[in-house]
Amino acid sequence: MLVTKKAPDFTGMAFHQGKYKKVSLEDYRGKWVVLCFYPGDFTFV
Amino acid sequence: MSYDKLQALNVEVLSVSTDSVHSHKIWNETELSKMVGNDIPFPMVSDQGGTIGRLYDVYNEEAGVNVRGRFLIDPEGIIQAVEVLSPPVGRNPEELLRQIKAYQHHQKTGEVMPSGWTEGGTTLKPSPALTGKVWKEWNPHKH
Repeated sequence: MLVTKKAPDFTGMAFHQGKYKKVSLEDYRGKWVVLCFYPGDFTFV
Repeated sequence: MSYDKLQALNVEVLSVSTDSVHSHKIWNETELSKMVGNDIPFPMVSDQGGTIGRLYDVYNEEAGVNVRGRFLIDPEGIIQAVEVLSPPVGRNPEELLRQIKAYQHHQKTGEVMPSGWTEGGTTLKPSPALTGKVWKEWNPHKH
């Protein structure tokens, strides 16, 4: 169970505003974050 | 748009799928930007191999993709709320906004939000005096 636990840190490449860049969850400390997983691009929902 | 409402609440968004960043770029260009009228404003993270999905227990090994998992993480890095849906059904941004407002209100005031709470609704202040007396403060048929 993850709720009430520390969010696992991760680093990954992201597409953002026309660029590819590295994103780390740690960089968002001090802010509220919504982390949304989804099955795949170009799917319908 | 929901993203503007999230920004107004000082909430950042990260989306994650097992697609490549190149796929994210093309999806944004060819479809998403046409749906929302501008580029997707938040980072679209690539999770090829499902490393991040495994950390959050939303990676489906058979299908090789992440299911719809949504994690609300507070400024301390603690996960406050989780919603996980299987692929056919999309999420409800209004419910996410409701939960964010409730957790932010709690962190500011220490008050708690009873079942069905929406913004402006009755909140409760936990104390020994309230124990056994919640019925005086809150009635599920009225709120």
